[in-house]
Amino acid sequence: MSKKPELRGRAARLARLLPAAPSQAARTPFVLLVVLLLGGGLITLLLLNSSLNEGSFQLTKLKKETQELTDEEQALQKDVDKYAAPDALQRRARELGMVPGGDPAFLGPDGKVRGVPGAAPGTAVRPSAARPPAALPPASPAPSPTGTPAPPSASASASARQPATPSPQAPATGSPSAAGDPSAPASASAGGAPRPPAIAERPAPTTPGR
Amino acid sequence: MVSLGLTLVMLAFVVRLLQVQAVDADVYAAKAEKNRYSTHKLAAERGAITDRGGVELATSVDAYDITADPSLFTPKETKTGDAPEQAAALLAPIIDKDTDEVAEKLRTPKSRFTLLARRATPQVWKQIKDLRTALADKASTDPKAVNVLGGVFAVPTSKRVYPNAGLAAGILGWVNADGKGGGGIEQQLNKELAGKQGEVRYAQSGGRRVPTAGSTEKPAVPGSDVELTIDRDIQWAAQDAITEQVRKSHADRGYVLVQDTRTGEVLAMANAPGFDPNDLSQAQGTSLGNAAVQDAFEPGSTAKVMSMAAVLEENAATPGTRVTVPNRLHRGDRLFQDDIDHPTWYLTLNGVLAKSSNIGTILATGELGDTQEQVNKSLYSYLRKFGIGKETGLGFPGETSGILAPPDKWSTSQQFTIPFGQGVSINAMQAASVYSTIANGGVRIEPTLVRGTKGPDGRFTPAPAPKKTRVVSDRTARTVAGMLESVVDDEQGTGTKARIPGYRVAGKTGTANRVDPKTGRYHGYTSSFAGFAPADKPRVTVYCVIQNATKGSYFGGQICGPIYKKVMQFALKTLQVPPTGKAPARLPVTFSPGKPETPGRPADDR
Repeated sequence: MSKKPELRGRAARLARLLPAAPSQAARTPFVLLVVLLLGGGLITLLLLNSSLNEGSFQLTKLKKETQELTDEEQALQKDVDKYAAPDALQRRARELGMVPGGDPAFLGPDGKVRGVPGAAPGTAVRPSAARPPAALPPASPAPSPTGTPAPPSASASASARQPATPSPQAPATGSPSAAGDPSAPASASAGGAPRPPAIAERPAPTTPGR
Repeated sequence: MVSLGLTLVMLAFVVRLLQVQAVDADVYAAKAEKNRYSTHKLAAERGAITDRGGVELATSVDAYDITADPSLFTPKETKTGDAPEQAAALLAPIIDKDTDEVAEKLRTPKSRFTLLARRATPQVWKQIKDLRTALADKASTDPKAVNVLGGVFAVPTSKRVYPNAGLAAGILGWVNADGKGGGGIEQQLNKELAGKQGEVRYAQSGGRRVPTAGSTEKPAVPGSDVELTIDRDIQWAAQDAITEQVRKSHADRGYVLVQDTRTGEVLAMANAPGFDPNDLSQAQGTSLGNAAVQDAFEPGSTAKVMSMAAVLEENAATPGTRVTVPNRLHRGDRLFQDDIDHPTWYLTLNGVLAKSSNIGTILATGELGDTQEQVNKSLYSYLRKFGIGKETGLGFPGETSGILAPPDKWSTSQQFTIPFGQGVSINAMQAASVYSTIANGGVRIEPTLVRGTKGPDGRFTPAPAPKKTRVVSDRTARTVAGMLESVVDDEQGTGTKARIPGYRVAGKTGTANRVDPKTGRYHGYTSSFAGFAPADKPRVTVYCVIQNATKGSYFGGQICGPIYKKVMQFALKTLQVPPTGKAPARLPVTFSPGKPETPGRPADDR
């Protein structure tokens, strides 16, 4: 390698296109740049990945939390529904000494009463009602737990206080346990789609009425 | 030698490479796929059913099926002989089951799955989970302790709950074990309620989703909410009243219908005895379903209102027309009588309805035509127009149309019994609709039970408007309403128990001979009461039926009248309908035979 071989003609022209002696000075920063880019990329990727994974963990955690809160909400809603159910309201109202409103009566803006207001039906208490003193005046909110009957004058005072326009939410009648009462006798016809018996063959009745 | 060896080794590698990468590539790819990707169905949330005020009557909540792997409870796995018993003792009180039964399930040999509790609440599962964690902690610190609950798992599912228990159960129906509607609205509108199942597919590692790997998700479409026309409070009042009376009268069953006369919307449809859709195992088979539209029965005297409307519409008589009612009347092949023996009654047409005379009704409908054939044809056409023998339009599953034979098939006796409601079968909804038609000025509005649906996007789609048909003229309807008032208002009327002081109440009692579904013969009575209020500006129709009352009175006016009153009072209060304050019609009920006929009215020669 002490002496360069002589190039001629075409080869010489081609040789001129090649860079002369490679530049020693430019190489180091380039290598550094490449290493930096590679390393940086790697680290970024790592960071990205770990943050994604972290997000995934957080997602799982939050999902679990949502689930727990949903469960709690549903459980609480169930409790609310239990209190808001009509027969529960009726039971509570009875416990507070309230009775069904009876005949509706309306108080107009001009002070005119429409309908016939009457005394609250104080004695109409079913055996299944929680407490007997249905005629307790509304003024005494807590009937005694022993069930002391109301004084005879109570119904009069109750009638005076009876609101002219009953609230639509106020339960009117009924026993708390009545809704699901299984004691009624089973009916003969099937529940699905009972086939009405043919009419023509039967003797026609002559004594129905009213 | 060495180079040959190397070549062979390389060749082996190349062949294996080719095999893995080219020949069996698909198999391996599929294997990888199978473990790497997991597909899950996303359950669609079933829509809620609400009343007209948006109160939820049926809704879905999260639940868990508590399961166990019996192979993890064997002595080999747990190193203790009585692991199932120990686990059962811990689990049984939580899931509310019998200890022995749970232990038995956990002992199932050669099985890897057993269901301990179906649709348990999340709270129950949390309790078990906490217990399991505590046991696992103990087991990790104390080598002698074993986690006997290691083989208990849960499968998330959802549960249909009916917050008001038995309220409106007949209308709502229930959902079967597959999550499909098994009856009532749940069945009728199952498609709308159910929504569409979704699917998610993602790369997973150790059960956790790999975030960078792609995933495809087709979200589930939640079901629509269905809004009923029912008013929860009125429904409750109706259900409470009828349940109480059915119990008191030792009756087979009873129904109460409340309908808005102006829109045809059903405000309440109560059955007794009912059932609790939350717990079908306790329900009696005969009380499942919605008897108010699924039972066909002979209505009796409440059907006389149609005969009267026909007579008035055809101008065959007026409310003042005199009808002389003998104690017995021979028609066709039998001798007809009224519910009580009486001397010859001198009644007006109004009085015939008020006193619910069968003989009077037969005589009055006789005026519909010159021959019996014409009478039958005319009456039949009116009955059809009132909706008898036709579907009510509710489209309710298992609904009956009742039976109304065409007039040429009417037997000799049927010709005379159909005018007073025997020999023809209807369901309670049809009967209520008849009274709503009269109340609505003679225009029949098809009853509706569903107001509309609310899609997952929150948009409300109202149900199609009900069909309206004119049955009788407005004038006839008003006259009939006035006559119905006499039933309740007049001292001689049969429905005096239904009076509501301050209001003008129209009503009609019915006590029909009942066809025993077992024998197909007449046995017992169908007691009923139908009517509307206020009579001069109707808002609500209430119809009450009690089938086969066996204790106390069986007269419609006596046992259904008070229910009508209770429910009507409640409905008037709920809808805030004040009395009109006008004087009642007070049409005459009787006439004195000596006095001459009021001029202008056709004479009745009987």
